[in-house]
Amino acid sequence: MSIADTLTELETRAAALLDDAEDAEALETARVEFLGRKGALAGISKEMGRLTPEERAQVGRLLNGVKQNLEARYETRKAGFERAALDARLAGEWLDLTLPAPGPRPGRLHPLTQIMRELEDLFTSLGFAVVDGPEVETEWYNFDALNIPPAHPARDAQDTFWMEDGHLLRTHTSPVQVRAMERFGAPLRIIAPGRVFRNEELDASHEHTFYQLEGMMVDRHVSVGHMLYFMKSLLAAIFGREVTVRLRPGFFPFVEPGFELDIQCLLCGGKGCPVCKQSGWVELLPCGLVHPNVLRAGGLDPEEWNGFAFGLGLTRLVMMRYGIDDIRHLAAGDLRFLRQF
Amino acid sequence: MKFSYEWLRELVPGLDVPPAELTARITMKTAECEGVESFAPWLERVCAARVIEVTPIEGSHNVVARIDAGPEFGERQVVCGAPNCRTGLVTAYVPAGLSLGSRQIRRALVAGHDSDGMLASGAELGINRDAEGVLELPQDTAPGTAVAAPDWVIEVDNKSLTHRPDLWGHHGMAREVAAFSGLPLKDPVDLTLVPAAGHEWTVEIEDFAAAPRYSALVFENVTVGPSPAWMQARLEALDLNPISNIVDVTNLVMAELAQPMHAFDLDKLHGKKIIVRHAKEGESFAALNGESYTLAPRHIVIADESGAIALGGVIGGAGSAISAGTTRIVLESANFDAATIRKTSSELKLRTDASMRFEKAQDPVNTTRALARAVELFQDVSPGIRLVGGLIDAWKPAPAPAPIELPLDWLDQKLGLAVPAERVRAILESLEFRVEEARPGVFAVHVPSWRATKDITIKDDLLEEVGRVIGYAEVPLEAPLQPVRRPWVNRERLYHHEVREMTAAQGFTEVSNYSFVSEEMARRFGFAPDDHLRVANPISIEQGLMRLSLLPGMHRCVTENAKRFDEFRLFEIGSEIHKRAGALPDEIPHFMAALYRKQGDGSAALLELKRLADCLLPGAAARPAEARGYEHPARSAEVVWRGETLGRLYELHPALLEAGRAAVLDLDLRKAFEMGPEPKRYTPLRRFPGSSFDLSVVAGLRVLAGDLIASIRAATGECCDAVEYLYSYRGQPLAEDRQSLSFRITVSAADHTFSNEELTAIRNGVMDALRAQGFDLRA
Ligand SMILES: [Zn+2]
Repeated sequence: MSIADTLTELETRAAALLDDAEDAEALETARVEFLGRKGALAGISKEMGRLTPEERAQVGRLLNGVKQNLEARYETRKAGFERAALDARLAGEWLDLTLPAPGPRPGRLHPLTQIMRELEDLFTSLGFAVVDGPEVETEWYNFDALNIPPAHPARDAQDTFWMEDGHLLRTHTSPVQVRAMERFGAPLRIIAPGRVFRNEELDASHEHTFYQLEGMMVDRHVSVGHMLYFMKSLLAAIFGREVTVRLRPGFFPFVEPGFELDIQCLLCGGKGCPVCKQSGWVELLPCGLVHPNVLRAGGLDPEEWNGFAFGLGLTRLVMMRYGIDDIRHLAAGDLRFLRQF
Repeated sequence: MKFSYEWLRELVPGLDVPPAELTARITMKTAECEGVESFAPWLERVCAARVIEVTPIEGSHNVVARIDAGPEFGERQVVCGAPNCRTGLVTAYVPAGLSLGSRQIRRALVAGHDSDGMLASGAELGINRDAEGVLELPQDTAPGTAVAAPDWVIEVDNKSLTHRPDLWGHHGMAREVAAFSGLPLKDPVDLTLVPAAGHEWTVEIEDFAAAPRYSALVFENVTVGPSPAWMQARLEALDLNPISNIVDVTNLVMAELAQPMHAFDLDKLHGKKIIVRHAKEGESFAALNGESYTLAPRHIVIADESGAIALGGVIGGAGSAISAGTTRIVLESANFDAATIRKTSSELKLRTDASMRFEKAQDPVNTTRALARAVELFQDVSPGIRLVGGLIDAWKPAPAPAPIELPLDWLDQKLGLAVPAERVRAILESLEFRVEEARPGVFAVHVPSWRATKDITIKDDLLEEVGRVIGYAEVPLEAPLQPVRRPWVNRERLYHHEVREMTAAQGFTEVSNYSFVSEEMARRFGFAPDDHLRVANPISIEQGLMRLSLLPGMHRCVTENAKRFDEFRLFEIGSEIHKRAGALPDEIPHFMAALYRKQGDGSAALLELKRLADCLLPGAAARPAEARGYEHPARSAEVVWRGETLGRLYELHPALLEAGRAAVLDLDLRKAFEMGPEPKRYTPLRRFPGSSFDLSVVAGLRVLAGDLIASIRAATGECCDAVEYLYSYRGQPLAEDRQSLSFRITVSAADHTFSNEELTAIRNGVMDALRAQGFDLRA
């Protein structure tokens, strides 16, 4: 039998073994038998020394052809076995993705923080600075500088926590008006959100601790018309829709004239409903033109400067927005409540 | 303050707007109304009736009464249980079919007899508080006539009247209504009724600043009895308890003119002189309300020769009160300093209708007006009463204040609306300001006495008068012109918001605790109550101290939530309040986070909080510190950032919790903010890859990994990129008091990659250094 015939016969045999190998191990055995360093093809190639150069070239080509054919078959089968093995392994890795995912979730910011941030961003975009003031205040900043002299009846309306050292807990954020005028001068646009205190018994709608936002604009020629325009724009931004506002007289010693600003009831559109007590209007905030005595207390000349100021009840706004029925939830620290925001 | 709708209509002839509409207009123009309620609407149909005959019913306290109820109802029969039901009595008849509030009156059999309607007491009718018997009307009252009139009561929020002394009476409110309705105002006062000639009684005021005026009249031939039904009804509608004709007149005048008055029984006074003086230290005073008060010189008393007969501006005395037998009276109409009354009333916790008015700064001119009005009313309610002599008066009138200059262009500019001069004048005059033209375009405005005590002193006050009467709906909206300027940025506040957001992102939920702590809470955590700023007037002990730490509040949140949750994360940003002598306290913003777990040994929670500290303050280290009382004795550290101590990381002392463990991180946010973020600096990336090697160091059990890392870093020198902690090991073959800590050290050079020889040299260097410090090294 010529080498060529031997090769042909060997190719047929090897191809069958490789193609029919039952598993990766049988395939490997077949590869070693034919394609290994001591395998059948290697044996044939050793014998090639005995051939003439012409035969050698011819058998060489033949041998290469057989080798490539067998190697290709081997690679194909090998890839097949590997794929099958991978598939089998992965099939065993079935995972129930309906299982709950472990680990902490982001916590929540307090609803008061959320509304404060929202308003701070809004006012900042309107050119207002956000100013802080102390919780413990002097009688001067909380009352006298705001045109509420000792024995003024308005002091009765604001039940005050007094400190043993003669200071007090601020009853409103208005002291920041004077602090801001002293610090920044005029013209001035500021808001001062923060914690205020009233010496009241705690119940579902009364807290001794709550949040207000004071706002103030001081310039050379500020009018009631400017204030109305500003408040309307502001409230449209807060409520996310146009609102109808009205001003009526309200007495606050630090403004003159002083107003209560009402908005047309957003629920009934002014027709009357239980929320607005059938009046069509909801009292929202006190405001007014800054009293000359307050400007003076802040170091400004009221003949040169004037302005408007307003106070927004943040606690009330939060309660209105989310329909919270008990003010005490806000300071209770109960996660069942806090996680809702 | 309550206002009678009908009374206002009497004072503003021609006023015909319905009660609800009037209420809304008062709210828009003058003061906030809280509501309007119908008062005794049944009075429309209740009429006077004369009892013709009374027949007792056997076995019953009731009687059968035949009555004459006037032309409309004629003769009727009613069953009546009142003890005063007698033949000839003129009383109030309630016809069947009428409702007295929720009570429906029906024709029915009572005690076996037909009862067609009922005879009613003053209390049943709602016109006084007498339920002892049926109402007794004067004998000359014609059957069929009305007993009293129904009304509407408008309630105005007292807070919106604090600056308006004049609005504490109907006449003042009527002036407002007349002004904004364009109607005339009726003055109920006839001053000619008070003769100028004095009296043998005199008045002396010791301190005109505290009591600017004291006016009085003396009456004789007084008969004390019930006041007429209409007067009682009016007082009752306003929640002023009807008492007797004399007292009711003083209250009615107060409700009309805002001038509190008081009647003394002259025969119970001593001497012929009324002295208005400061009380003596410790002077005791028995008041009409049955209470006794110990006074001080800052209180004002009205006294006769023998002592105090009234607490000035607040309440009358028990000893000189009007009684059924009174025949001669002294009628006081005085004026007191607002601040003095306010202090007295709040100090003695005694708020009366009088003190409420005086503390708003009443008009001294008003005293004689009130007397004149009382003279007229007394004649109606106490027939035969005689005024003896004339006005007794002590007063040093203050000079009228200078007129206020009101530039009209200023007014237009501030209002944002051009108001014609004549309209400004008309509005001010309708409110009884006197308006002159000082010069072209400038009014000189004279303020009426009842607005001049405190209320109106500057042109801005006049602006309000004009603005509110016009109504602000007329003011056009105008955008304010503002300089385009970036506002000052409150970086500290923004920093707090950043901290909040980052902490929430790590799973922590924000709480907002009170600024107060109780003494007990403070003590529980080892804080000395005296170190706290104290609240002088707390409502409850919960609010006794200002917090020196966020911990007590956070601890409460932890224990409350631990009842419901096995694991949770909380944080708060709030101020610690540190008292300072002679200055406002130092309010230091702090951050506190707490991580609670019911299960486990607590170590993972501490490390998680350490990670949080590292997130907030990149590179922050924990340096073991001596534990405080509320801290776990072996789990407490200072948080150090860039060389500064910024707070503490600890486990809450387990004794402070019923179950579970809580780790706490407490940071001084002011310090953190002031230090600012670490400056950012670019370092060129190393071009040659680094190499790393591992080391295991055998050390005592309490040797700190942090210290070892620092030592390794120092020993490795400049080429050290990182020292990474891998793991620790205890057990065989190590001795019991030994642990092994493994680290991976990464080194690199700027200009080449280290060769194996160099790496070995570095490694040996580190090992030698550690051995020199007494550590063993494990292969
Ligand atoms: Zn509504």
